[in-house]
Amino acid sequence: MSDISVVGMLAENWMMIIGIIIGGLCISVGVHFVPVGGAPAAMAQATGIGTGTVQLATGSGLTGLLAAGFMYKALAAGGIGLSEIVLICATGAVGAMIMICVTMLVGNWVYIYGVGTPPASAKVDYDPITGNSQAPYVAPGTVGQGMPTVCFVSGTMGGLLGGLGGSLIYCMLMGVNGDPAISSIFAIGIFVVNAVLPSYNIQGTIEGFHDPKFKRVPKAIVACFVASLLCGIIAVLIPGIGGV
Amino acid sequence: MSVAAGGEAVSTETPNQVDTKGVVVGLVGIYIAGITAGIIGPYLAFFAGIGAVFATRMGADGVRRVCSYGIGTGVPSIGVLALGMGLVASMFGIAIGWIVGVPMIGPIVGFVIAVVIGWIIGTLANKVIKLNIPVMERCCMEIAGAGVIVLTGLSVMIAGSLDFAVIIEKVVQTGFIAPVFILGALGILHPFNASLGPDETQDRTLRHAYSTGAIAMTISGVCSIAVLDPIAATLSIVVGAFIWYTNFMGFVRLVQRDAGAGYVGTGLLPPGAM
Repeated sequence: MSDISVVGMLAENWMMIIGIIIGGLCISVGVHFVPVGGAPAAMAQATGIGTGTVQLATGSGLTGLLAAGFMYKALAAGGIGLSEIVLICATGAVGAMIMICVTMLVGNWVYIYGVGTPPASAKVDYDPITGNSQAPYVAPGTVGQGMPTVCFVSGTMGGLLGGLGGSLIYCMLMGVNGDPAISSIFAIGIFVVNAVLPSYNIQGTIEGFHDPKFKRVPKAIVACFVASLLCGIIAVLIPGIGGV
Repeated sequence: MSVAAGGEAVSTETPNQVDTKGVVVGLVGIYIAGITAGIIGPYLAFFAGIGAVFATRMGADGVRRVCSYGIGTGVPSIGVLALGMGLVASMFGIAIGWIVGVPMIGPIVGFVIAVVIGWIIGTLANKVIKLNIPVMERCCMEIAGAGVIVLTGLSVMIAGSLDFAVIIEKVVQTGFIAPVFILGALGILHPFNASLGPDETQDRTLRHAYSTGAIAMTISGVCSIAVLDPIAATLSIVVGAFIWYTNFMGFVRLVQRDAGAGYVGTGLLPPGAM
């Protein structure tokens, strides 16, 4: 590939690169919304879902991608324009939201009926949404348990942003190479990079938008902007095997 | 690779030694598989898998050094990050080789791109997100490079070719890229995740990395039955299973060596089995 064709492909696909960056930023902000509790939450000693950021982000992202891919297939016959991309991204977002909501709901069943703890947040005294008092329900020696209302709402918003970002990246890549297999596996690669960098930013655990750690979002946005730009430039240079 | 289970002092390999071994054996393995495929058929495809096993070991050493600082998110995140970066870079490298008509440059281009991405991601993590881990940049370069060699190696082993169109047809469009992705990531992240703790020793962790890499190789060999010559696939499975068996037994011996309070059988296996 000569320099001219590299520049040509980049010039031709600059819209796609911008789309990939927007998708990456959606994912990186979305990670901050998901109540991730890590190992302490798995033992009902911290608020949030009892696993790591990467597992949750990847799970919701893949579900969103699956939903988006199905919608893409359904709409592809009529050609993909802006309104189709909006529909595909909405489908992906709903898919990811369903996944994360089911995870939180079933997790709460386990915490409430299995472990026997009331969902409570240790980061705020009163739930910002319901106004319910939290501190009396936090078991001594722990930093909360389960997913109280604010975490649940926050997690749903995280699923929305994650699914939206993943689907947008998928749509952009389909526009470049037209191959669902290459596009989806690349979308997963870019998704993972944009999910891991913010997880370093929150150092593994966060309760949602009411958590003080949420104020660190700008740092993750800067980091993920650079990472998405880099991945986007490389990704749009790869043609489908039908192309070139 | 010579780790005697005789209670000797813990051998420490420097990062440069591990990296040299991983990169050289990894790339040479991929090239042996890629070049001979056009001459004698895909029967030496398992060499790419052996390259992937050594690259897994290099990635596991990078994970080991960076995660001993405590990154706060658990070890799996960095292994998945490695394959995320590796995936983008390896497909780019192979695609570039296809576009310019010289498939042989693919793995090297992919490796170089991965090292650059790894350095940038490591710098972002250190300077922007302020993780402040001194080895972050270097380890991100190592794990991204290892990710590329693992992905390229296993893909070449399944497809029996270095050609982008063949790899897309036989590995990506069949969906085998998904097990390759997650097995490659697990191979890199699992050894330290399983061995971490105050009594972690390098030779035990890295011996474990050989066995996890060999599991990825064996399962990729099973995948290649569907798309490649059955003899070549069987060779890959047998070689992979052999590497796994010898190294897993070696790992068990090292665990017994490092068990401070001694060990007793649980009764699950007959006493002589180990």
